Amino acid sequence: MARFHPLEVTEVRRDTRDAVVVSLRPRDEDRAAFDFIQGQYLTFRREFDGEELRRSYSICAGKDDGVLRVGIKRVDGGAFSTWANENLEPGIVLEAMPPMGRFFTALDPSSEKHYLGFAGGSGITPVLSIIKTVLAREPASEFTLVYANRQISSIMFREELEDLKNLYLGRFSVLHILETEAQEIDLFTGRIDADKMNRLFDTWIDPTTIDTAFICGPEPMMLTIAESLRAHGVTDDRIKFELFASGQPGRAKRPAVSREAANRSGTARATITLDGATRTVDMPKEGQTLLEAALEHDLDAPFACKAGVCSTCRAKVLDGEVEMAVNHALEDYEVRQGYVLTCQCTPVTDTLVISYDQ
Amino acid sequence: MSDAAAVETMELEDYLARGGVLTSPLNVPARYRGELMRLMAAFVDSELAGSAGFADVINDAPGIKQRIAAARIVLEKADHAERVLDIMAEFGADRGRYAVHQPWGARIARDADIGPTRHGNDMRLSVFHYPLDGWTDAVVMNVLMGLATGVQLEELSNVSYAPLAEVFRAIAPIEARHAELGLEGLARIVETAEGRGQARESVSYWRPRVAATFGLAGSGRFETLRRFGLRHTPNGDLRAKWAFRLADELARAGLA
Repeated sequence: MARFHPLEVTEVRRDTRDAVVVSLRPRDEDRAAFDFIQGQYLTFRREFDGEELRRSYSICAGKDDGVLRVGIKRVDGGAFSTWANENLEPGIVLEAMPPMGRFFTALDPSSEKHYLGFAGGSGITPVLSIIKTVLAREPASEFTLVYANRQISSIMFREELEDLKNLYLGRFSVLHILETEAQEIDLFTGRIDADKMNRLFDTWIDPTTIDTAFICGPEPMMLTIAESLRAHGVTDDRIKFELFASGQPGRAKRPAVSREAANRSGTARATITLDGATRTVDMPKEGQTLLEAALEHDLDAPFACKAGVCSTCRAKVLDGEVEMAVNHALEDYEVRQGYVLTCQCTPVTDTLVISYDQ
Repeated sequence: MSDAAAVETMELEDYLARGGVLTSPLNVPARYRGELMRLMAAFVDSELAGSAGFADVINDAPGIKQRIAAARIVLEKADHAERVLDIMAEFGADRGRYAVHQPWGARIARDADIGPTRHGNDMRLSVFHYPLDGWTDAVVMNVLMGLATGVQLEELSNVSYAPLAEVFRAIAPIEARHAELGLEGLARIVETAEGRGQARESVSYWRPRVAATFGLAGSGRFETLRRFGLRHTPNGDLRAKWAFRLADELARAGLA
């Protein structure tokens, strides 16, 4: 089970108007657990108004920087990122899980590879970690970065990238694409689309030289770039993706729980939603789980172990109360939000509303 | 990764339908999560059950090379199960408990017929509920199921959850080698008339059971999985691809 560890904030540097770069120090005993791989991310947790939120931010430090560092860009309405941008200062202790993620390839000092990175906005954070580490640890490899932003002032790590260009002259190049600012070459102005990609490959980047491509940005950008890479002969096994976590909800809502008197005998009426369709089933309060009741009524509810260890059958209780016999898979914060393992649940209240869709 | 896209975003289903991929537990929606977990559990359970079944066969091996081949299959299938279970654990599954929550070596009677449906309390493919009957039978089952696994992994290497697709791509060549080991074993078995006869019997026993693992044509769940980018090719097409490859290999072994 994933565990959270304290990380002390040692430095907060404002990078752009709405982004901060935060250096973190694990406790001595946690040092090994936070020995990250370039391109990985940290998942933080914090309570807002009594409710736990979890957010992931990519590490932007290279393996040889000797520090753990993440970039946090403020998002409108984003509780965590706004808080981090306005309140973080040295000495504050955050809680995070050890690094996770597979947005990297294995390095070999003797490799002579050409890496191509695409970053959109704050999607630069994991890519920067990869760039720094690759250039330091594969002395014969090259990296080309295509970096899309709205305007010059919103470019994260602009100076750091310039420094890297000077440090690794001839091995690192950056193409900035700015959405709303005209540049000398019109290819570098506007959004990345299929046409721009074609022209990029025609004149600036030889697609046959690419060993691995890294893409981190919002969904449409990922699609456009991946489609173009494939069309230019870069196969899927050489394309690494990291998606922006735009699917993360801004704020989780607590379930509305109606406090009926618990009555453990008789039947309960459960309203179950799956794939947007809702069905109401009557079920005994004992002897049958919610999952079994759903399956019996031809709802194709997901499940696997039926033993409370895998969490495939997770659903959310929107109204009413259930009793969960065994739980080896959901964490406390999920349970507080109303999530249950339906293979382990029996109704407590006479009516129950649950959803597999939330 | 970041809190949210500062630039434009799009509907997730639209994104997935156009070949987009998801990359971490935090950007996976609830229904997608359920189907992804189900798919992973089916793979893990099948590998563990397959490995457990083959473990018993090691002692039936007719020579050292064959013994090594069988032991290797037992080892590597367990390793493949672990790699996928590691991804399930990132979604909260309890790795330690999961690995022992079922008796993976348990089998039903050889003449039982459970069709394509799941059985008992795990998600292994139905074919892994049937017992192996000696060395030749194990080799034949390994050939038929090995070819099926090859077809399935080609499909699964394109699942829209990128970390899982990468694991499947890494596993595919090793599983392909298991099928090759089976074909090498089969080539020796069919050198004798007795071996050919036994192999034929086993082929007719396993062929419908392996065919059933591809699921039903026109399955409603396939449509859901396709929307999520977790499947792309209909069950019937995959089965046909397998049947074609199998016919080819059986002809080569003189068992057509």
